Amino acid sequence: MIHITQLNKVFRTELIETQALHNINLSVAEGEFVALTGPSGSGKSTLLNILGTLESYDSGDYQLDGQSVTGMTDSALSALRNEKIGFIFQSFNLIKDFSIYDNIELPLRYRGFSAAERKQRVEQALERVGLAGRRSYLPGQLSGGQQQRVAIARALAGSPRILLADEPTGNLDSLMARQVMELLEQLNREGCTILMVTHDPEQARRAGRHVQIVDGMLSDATVYQPLVAQAVNQ
Amino acid sequence: MRNFSYYLRLSLHNIKRAPLPYALTLVILSIGLGVFFSNATLYYWMNRDPLPEQSHTLFFPRINAVEQACDSCLTPLRVLSYKDVQKLSNSAIPSAQAGMFQSGGYARLPNTQNGPTPVSIRVTQRDFFELFNAPFLHGQTWADNDARMELILHYNAALKFFGRTDVLGQQLLLDGELYTIVGVLDNWQMLPKLYDVNNGLAITPVEEIYLPWETAYNLGIKSNSTTQSRDSRNYNENFAVNGREGEFYQAQFWVKLDTPAQQDAYRQFMDNLVASEKEAGRHPRPNGNLLHNMLDIAEAFNERNRQLDAFAVVSVLFLLVCLFNASHLSLNRYMASQFEFSLRRALGASRLQLQGQLLTDVLVNGVLAFVLALLFAVLMLLLINQLLPATSALNNWQPGLILLMFGVALLASYLVTLYPAWRASYSPLNQQLKA
Ligand SMILES: Nc1ncnc2c1ncn2[C@@H]1O[C@H](COP(=O)(O)OP(=O)(O)OP(=O)(O)O)[C@@H](O)[C@H]1O
Ligand SMILES: [Mg+2]
Repeated sequence: MIHITQLNKVFRTELIETQALHNINLSVAEGEFVALTGPSGSGKSTLLNILGTLESYDSGDYQLDGQSVTGMTDSALSALRNEKIGFIFQSFNLIKDFSIYDNIELPLRYRGFSAAERKQRVEQALERVGLAGRRSYLPGQLSGGQQQRVAIARALAGSPRILLADEPTGNLDSLMARQVMELLEQLNREGCTILMVTHDPEQARRAGRHVQIVDGMLSDATVYQPLVAQAVNQ
Repeated sequence: MRNFSYYLRLSLHNIKRAPLPYALTLVILSIGLGVFFSNATLYYWMNRDPLPEQSHTLFFPRINAVEQACDSCLTPLRVLSYKDVQKLSNSAIPSAQAGMFQSGGYARLPNTQNGPTPVSIRVTQRDFFELFNAPFLHGQTWADNDARMELILHYNAALKFFGRTDVLGQQLLLDGELYTIVGVLDNWQMLPKLYDVNNGLAITPVEEIYLPWETAYNLGIKSNSTTQSRDSRNYNENFAVNGREGEFYQAQFWVKLDTPAQQDAYRQFMDNLVASEKEAGRHPRPNGNLLHNMLDIAEAFNERNRQLDAFAVVSVLFLLVCLFNASHLSLNRYMASQFEFSLRRALGASRLQLQGQLLTDVLVNGVLAFVLALLFAVLMLLLINQLLPATSALNNWQPGLILLMFGVALLASYLVTLYPAWRASYSPLNQQLKA
């Protein structure tokens, strides 16, 4: 599903160069639930953004669903994001003055679906996250957990090949975090491939696979267990 | 444009989000455009070619025929004498030619109690209507250039005096003389009225009544604008003789020269005329022959309206300032919605699709600004008409002009939206979406 080899990313500002990612190799198979952990500033978000094609990389290769992303045009990348990737953000990123329905429908608008298909997909996604009754609410009228479920519904509505989630529970209290986690786990059981950044060791343990990133380098978390603990404790 | 209705909804939604800043942007843009439109309107009417089909064939000849010797007087007078017109008329080269001048009088219907009404008069000859493409609704022009008590009425005058246009054979009293109406013009106008430019760049309507040239000289009717007398005769007495023979300058003369060959031939004719006049001792001044084309006539008489030129420059500068300000406000607006741009990009909208959205914004803004700007333009025109009363004939809009203004409004809206939108849609994606 995901196949990255020797991936490097450097951020250059006027003062410093940050090697955010260093020779990353990672493969994720269809149906996996991968948790990505690491200390703050270690490059988790950068990696996830590159996987979501929101960010470019300097060298290496990234293949998504058998297709190399390197050198794709803007419109090809947009289509890729729209059709194959579902992105879930820590801060939900819902449009405040759009109804829940309109928020979920937004990515479908850029895909050329008919009105009927859009409606069916939005209804299905709402059903899936258990918010069918709230379709005309505004995001502000929902709890944080519900808002994140709306964001998940938005990511799901386009039937993506993979869900990328950057600390999806980072802004939620533990009860709501558990609800969101349960939803993600259920989606994974139904066959959805998920890659999730988290700081919560409990969540990392529950994921099918746990990958750790330190100073822009990947390591198998099971080998460097102490580092995980250290990262988590921060 | 499959998504057009969605884009349109988003544009309107965006306006509703921050109506006040939006209104401010729109008003600034519209004021700039309105001022520009009003000046463009005047400028258009002042500088347009009123007779595109034949203006290039219409010429105004001038000869330096004043009878007092003056070796340094190289430029002919602005107006011609009866004798000038007579001499110049002695050529078969033009396909049409007419002497003319503007006058005024009081007219009323015979056998009624109605008081006389002031009317504008053009004293002229039979070819006038052919020269300037004045169309007849009823009747036709005079049979020849002889004196006759026959009038041709403009459409408006026919309505004014008779309430209808079909008035051939009816009679009208003009300054105590009884005339028969032999022709009625259609509702014709010529803006700018270039045949009368030596009385100022005429921005008045065409005359209401057309009177034969010889009749006017018989009756002592004189021009009510530029006149010059260069001798000591009394032109208030026996005008029928003095006005024709004396040095009394009041007329314009227009000839139609269809081909460059005819134009060259006519210049030659003028030179020959002056040469033979000199031989006869009647042309003491240097040869100062001029043949102005109608399109150069305003320059030739130095009657371009410099005030309007200056207004035009100022209004363009003002528009630029408004564009700059509106663009700045618009930048703030788009910066505020940068998050949403990035989000839409992250969720799979291509740049092209976002540009579709932006172009829809441009269209919406353009239409709103256009409507508002027309409103401001009307107000501005009223103000300008107050300050420069002569411009009041020029404040109507033709479809072509409206279309042009709409184009300018769209372009302005595009310029105001372009840079901010470009800034907003090309910002790095991930930064806006972070926690
Ligand atoms: N746009 C950018 N410009 C410059 N440096 C950046 C940029 N984005 C990230 N970095 C740097 O790259 C490194 C990795 O950042 P990243 O956001 O991936 O960390 P992270 O693991 O997600 O951290 P956290 O757990 O705090 O979210 C950091 O040193 C960060 O300062
Ligand atoms: Mg991060």
